[in-house]
Amino acid sequence: MTSGVRLTGVAGAPGIAIGPVWRFDATEGASPAATSREVPGQRPEDAIRAAAAETGRQLDALAGRLRDVGREPEAAIFDAQSLMALDPTLIADAVRRAGSAGDPADAVRAAAGAAAELFASLEDEILSARAADVRDVGARICRVLRGEVLHLPVVPSIAVCDDLPPSVTAEIPPGFLLGIALAGGSRTAHAVILARSLGIPAIVGIEGLIAAVDGRSSPSAPPVAIAMDGERGEVIVDPGSRVAADFRQREADLAQRRANAAGLRDRPAATADGERVLLVANIGTPEDAPRALAVRAEGVGLFRTEFLFMSRQTPPTETEQVDSYRRVLEAFGPERPVVIRLADIGGDKAIPYLRLAPEQNPFLGVRAIRLAYANPDLLLTQLRAIWRAGAAAKVVPHVMAPMVATLADVELLMSLRDRARNALVAEGLPVAERMVTGIMVEVPSAAFLAPELARRVDFFSIGTNDLTQYILAADRGNAALAGLQDALHPAVLRAIAGIVAGADSAGIPVAVCGELAGDPAGALVLVGLGVDELSADAGSLDGVRAALARVTRPQLDALARSALDATNAETVRDLAGALLAPAG
Amino acid sequence: MRADEVEVRNPSGLHARPAALFVKTAARFVSTVTVQNVTTGAVPADAKSILAVMGSGAARGHIVRLTADGPDEEQAMTVLRDLFASGLGEELEA
Repeated sequence: MTSGVRLTGVAGAPGIAIGPVWRFDATEGASPAATSREVPGQRPEDAIRAAAAETGRQLDALAGRLRDVGREPEAAIFDAQSLMALDPTLIADAVRRAGSAGDPADAVRAAAGAAAELFASLEDEILSARAADVRDVGARICRVLRGEVLHLPVVPSIAVCDDLPPSVTAEIPPGFLLGIALAGGSRTAHAVILARSLGIPAIVGIEGLIAAVDGRSSPSAPPVAIAMDGERGEVIVDPGSRVAADFRQREADLAQRRANAAGLRDRPAATADGERVLLVANIGTPEDAPRALAVRAEGVGLFRTEFLFMSRQTPPTETEQVDSYRRVLEAFGPERPVVIRLADIGGDKAIPYLRLAPEQNPFLGVRAIRLAYANPDLLLTQLRAIWRAGAAAKVVPHVMAPMVATLADVELLMSLRDRARNALVAEGLPVAERMVTGIMVEVPSAAFLAPELARRVDFFSIGTNDLTQYILAADRGNAALAGLQDALHPAVLRAIAGIVAGADSAGIPVAVCGELAGDPAGALVLVGLGVDELSADAGSLDGVRAALARVTRPQLDALARSALDATNAETVRDLAGALLAPAG
Repeated sequence: MRADEVEVRNPSGLHARPAALFVKTAARFVSTVTVQNVTTGAVPADAKSILAVMGSGAARGHIVRLTADGPDEEQAMTVLRDLFASGLGEELEA
């Protein structure tokens, strides 16, 4: 038999694991309960109450054990689940469904399912994600009712299943979970978050995983082994010794890379010949600040403010916004500038209270700064909040407007900025001494107008994701065009070179805050093209810092020249990859 | 019966952790305690049911109405109101 079935999924948590499979099947009850706990003659109601109470005790004990070993965030989940098990409305519903002679387990499962549906329908994303927790509680009560025992791994193993609920992962002893491979799930599944916190790999959405594993399993043989690479989203079922050796090598490389990269944090990001590059973070909420500071971000190049506007029924108040901005400005202090991006909403992002008309081409529609022509209040309130937050935090705030396409857009931005300030001064409220004001360059017209725009603003920040979709006319959401959505395409790089030249002519700095900035190969090309500042998610900064430390300015100049002469993205990626390949 | 309105100040609203503390505390009283999301116009929910409390969808900035009815209603209302004001076990920004 040939060894090794190669499967791919979505990368969830990085890392390498090789080990025996531990198959977990959440669809319990497939085999009739051999050791049912049901006492003959016991009323379903009493059975349900007893099982719920037992489940509540188990979950409490689980929370206590996790808290003792410092896993507080998980402990809090089980506190809430324990209350769910004892919830009077859940129990009453299950008792009602069981009636006088129904199956208690079926009734509990149905009641938990109904409660979960209700949660899933809530608009609040955090709460709707709790639907899985309710179902999990229902499954637990069923297990108690049926006297079923969870079969935990007995040797360190890789979990293979559809999805792995939190109450199951928490019962696996530390060190016995080498990795998590899921046929279902998403990158935000509980199991993925857990994997990241444990530092083990996770891959989700692996098509054919269950069939490949179960097809090679037999009760009499030892468990099937798999090898997984969480960074590449790659799984090999039943790897031979050569594949295993390859994965061991990857594991060693990864450990080396991580150690090297983390070791560079104490020095500011620079090329091997000492040219400094400002390395800053993209953040989405004030809660992201500690992670960015931990990896030594020298500021924030993109503070997305959409979180304030989404998942709610009314617009955020000015005070609420001041509070959020001030928290981030204070966290980074006067030495590490924070660029707040004005709300990039409208078009495809549904904001119920704005009552925006549906559009045929949302990405080419009334989006971001364009909204302010007809309705300036949204941006005015935001700008007022930023002026006030800067004063409260005693720093100079930086702002940028997305989707700027024309000089008129810049004039509108500046006039709203000044109007907001003048109104606050007239009201006697403290304002920041000034506001560094820039624009995102992500629309082709802005790239062509770069020299004129540069004379009117304080900085440029290139959004490579949108710039790529607009230059190549390829919808970011259309998977059929995935091949065209590569920001390393020379057409995009030539636009970036033009934007940098425009900025240089006016003496203003250029940042890049798209995904390209967080990709080590992309970062080298961008710095080669003359970009001053790279802004990426905190998790990418170590890798970019390490890549920069390996190359010199002359190498980057040569890379940029070859990249601009190239005619496709693959060539550019190969050129940059050659600089990053291990020496020798 | 006692009733009062309070504002949810927790950054993520009444999500699992603050809801759990609230429900545990409400369950200590013999009075019937309800919580109603006034902002969304939801119906009053049993404050001793975590599913009902989380299901009320109380997000930051929402106003909720608390009621307590029973022999220890006064004490229940004082304790629960203070619990909201102190952030339900979470740190609040001033």
